[in-house]
Amino acid sequence: MASVIGLLFRRLLISFIVLIGVSMLIFAIARVIPGDPARIALGPNAKAEQIEQLRAEMHLDESLPVQYAQFLSDLSRGDLGTSLYTNRPVTTDIVQFLPATLELVFLAGLIMVLVGLPLGILAARYQGRWPDHLVRILALLTVSAPGFVWAVILMLLFAFYLPLFPIAGRIADIHEVQRITGFLIIDTLLAGNVAAFGSAIHHIILPAVALSLSGIGQAARLTRANMVETYKKPYIEMAHAYGFFPNRIARSYAFKPSLIPSLTIIGLDFAAMLGNAFLVEAVFAWPGLSRYGVAVILRKDLNAIMGTVLIIALTFLIVNIIVDLLIAFLNPRIRYSTREAS
Amino acid sequence: MSSVLNINNLTLSFKTLMQRVDVLHGIDLRIEAGEKVALVGESGSGKSVTARIILGLLQETRSAVVHGSVLFDGKDINTLTRKERAALRGTAMSMIFQDPSSSLNPVFTIGHQFTEVLKRREAKISQADCKKRCLKALIEVAIPEPARVLSSYPFQLSGGMNQRVMIAMALANQPSLLLADEPGTALDVSVQAQTLKLMHKMVTNHNTAVLFISHNLGVVREFADRVYVIYRGNIVEDGPTAALFANPTHPYTRALMAAVPRITGTGLPQVPEFSDEFLAPRVSHGVNP
Amino acid sequence: MIRALRILASNPLSLFGLLLVVLIVLVAILAPWIAPFPTHNGAVVDFAFANKAPGARNWMGTDLVGRDIFSRILYAYQISLTLGIVVLAIATPIGTVVGLIAGYSGGWLGTVLMRIVDVFLSIPPLVLAIAMMGVLEPTLTNAMLAVTVMWWPWYARLVYSVARSEREEGYVLAAEVIGANTAHITFREILPNCLPAIITKMTLDMGFVIIIASSLSFLGLGVQPPTPDLGSMVAEGARYLPDSWWLTVFPGLAILVAVFGFNLLGDGLRDVFGVDE
Repeated sequence: MASVIGLLFRRLLISFIVLIGVSMLIFAIARVIPGDPARIALGPNAKAEQIEQLRAEMHLDESLPVQYAQFLSDLSRGDLGTSLYTNRPVTTDIVQFLPATLELVFLAGLIMVLVGLPLGILAARYQGRWPDHLVRILALLTVSAPGFVWAVILMLLFAFYLPLFPIAGRIADIHEVQRITGFLIIDTLLAGNVAAFGSAIHHIILPAVALSLSGIGQAARLTRANMVETYKKPYIEMAHAYGFFPNRIARSYAFKPSLIPSLTIIGLDFAAMLGNAFLVEAVFAWPGLSRYGVAVILRKDLNAIMGTVLIIALTFLIVNIIVDLLIAFLNPRIRYSTREAS
Repeated sequence: MSSVLNINNLTLSFKTLMQRVDVLHGIDLRIEAGEKVALVGESGSGKSVTARIILGLLQETRSAVVHGSVLFDGKDINTLTRKERAALRGTAMSMIFQDPSSSLNPVFTIGHQFTEVLKRREAKISQADCKKRCLKALIEVAIPEPARVLSSYPFQLSGGMNQRVMIAMALANQPSLLLADEPGTALDVSVQAQTLKLMHKMVTNHNTAVLFISHNLGVVREFADRVYVIYRGNIVEDGPTAALFANPTHPYTRALMAAVPRITGTGLPQVPEFSDEFLAPRVSHGVNP
Repeated sequence: MIRALRILASNPLSLFGLLLVVLIVLVAILAPWIAPFPTHNGAVVDFAFANKAPGARNWMGTDLVGRDIFSRILYAYQISLTLGIVVLAIATPIGTVVGLIAGYSGGWLGTVLMRIVDVFLSIPPLVLAIAMMGVLEPTLTNAMLAVTVMWWPWYARLVYSVARSEREEGYVLAAEVIGANTAHITFREILPNCLPAIITKMTLDMGFVIIIASSLSFLGLGVQPPTPDLGSMVAEGARYLPDSWWLTVFPGLAILVAVFGFNLLGDGLRDVFGVDE
């Protein structure tokens, strides 16, 4: 256990350094590349004194290192500046829009794991036979189109032709749900409003499936590839020699050792979903951070752009730390590394 | 006395899309209850696939074509169903592999894996019973601190320790036949010798018949009651160990013996160069010494 | 090389992928000659045939101003492939050199380089490109720039890990013993052994770049109208679902077919080269 805590601290430290780097990168993108951010933000018709005023507000008159220091000190107080699009603090906007995106991404991630891993196990169990070929082709198909293509196709099939699911939104308009966590699935439950909960679930299924599809393909391909390697190991032959059933060998003896290398990549796929949420949210008019992000980008709202990217990077880092800890927990070699050394 | 294993005219070939490769050309081999029999040959001679046929593993791959009879306790493995064959494995027969450390699953504790093996014979065995039998089995193979070993993962134990665990596991369900495929060749020589001595003692105590597969005549001489020499998918010479070593008759056996290193058990012996003489007919020294 | 092709061709799926890729490259190059309406790649209007369902005249229907969707898809393939080739042609050498230097030299230089790579990799790929397009003007060149900036770190990491393991190989140690200099070892000894992994990744990444680029233009951050682009075609058409389904479905399927081809081929190459995922 001590080694796991040590690992956690090491990862936190590295993540912190990386986050500083990310803030520099975002700062560089926002300040160094485009020229005058104030002019870009205010558009070509702005008067000179308006631009001057905004430059002063955004500390653009200072040297770049001073600006960056200012940016960091604001950041450490949780101040991401004011959005020119909503005229509210960017932090407020993010708090409002992030939960909807996280809700979508978490559900999609769950679907990815629950469907992708079993498909990978199935393919490896029947390696070289028709279930394997079927899974491989399907998985390759799902990773061969961007999220918005799947979103459009699913919407056409299951919202228009077969009207099983709603076309857009997070919940039917008739429901009034008090905002507590911002996660509608949780808030409706906390309010004890079963009908609203049902509506929230009903609304999230199609976007979540659209978002998860390419992740499912990735997870299935990866699990299969790692398990095919595991199947070559002597301990699998030994399991066969002891007469364990092939399904059991697949599910337990071959899957568990293969899961450990798969998890890191599954964490990365989860990160890709944070990006793909931009596409799916656009199709399903999902009121999340990604839609906010696109709106502020189209308006060249620099503070909001930086805030959004920073918060997405932070979410990604947190997810990766969780994945690393999960691996450490699952892998006895890491869990007991202190004992091994002794 | 009925034989534990009686193999008659066993042939094996692998078919691919283009061609067919014959691996075994009609093998006869017999093991009586409690008898320790060795199958000796160089790699590629067909000794390892023979073990996999006895276990019924090769019959389940689509590329292998197996003919002939493999009578185990009077039942022909070749004609049993997939399920019936699986039912024999791990209960009536079991196997020990070359490299003990990589043959144990890295993500489960020894205790977990041992329990799974015990459940092969007795699916509803109680937790406490299980633990007791695991500990007893580990003590029998002279493992110190058996409780600690049970809660350990294979990577936490030495190769020799893992080998003892494998021997204990293989004998835990009182099988009538133990297949040992080059056991412990991955270990260093002194540990290998030690665990072989232990295995010899264990199978003698349990009265378990053994098919000991090896390329090393020196090791075989100390372990086996009777020896079969296999060359290119044919048995070329067989007989009681003493008789065969006293009077090796087949040219291949003589070549193999000449290739045994002076100090028994150091590394791989040199493989004899091919010679037409090796295709000479089989020599049998009979069954009784 | 011929042996590699033969292995590739022995797998029907890989062969199919190769054929798809060849077909798509051909139709993209030959678009001006084989497109039924070669002028429809620009700001043309033909309201007499606006928003027509697929039929004999327009196999995939027409868009809202009467342009032939099939013709536009052929031209859009030109844009996608050009973008993919340019991005990989720039990102691969940059990433490879950074990865080689970090992997071979190790030490503090390697650590610093790989930490910089980590920074890029810790922003989800699409988000980094979106953020860059947020501050740049939406043009084809800038889209290429944004995707390139997002892409090179992945090569750096791939080459780094291969180079790290190659560094311990006997032939590298042997070269060091006979006194070969660092640059020689890195580029003449280690690089050739990274090539199979790089080529495989480039093939798979052609599909990926097409996905990312079409995603950017889907969000209105990439190639601008009237230039035909698969992503923006889907975005425009999505507003007219379900009635004018052909506006979105055919460009969407066009992305799927192209990327599927590159992925099949990439998978086949991976088997041929025995490269790990």
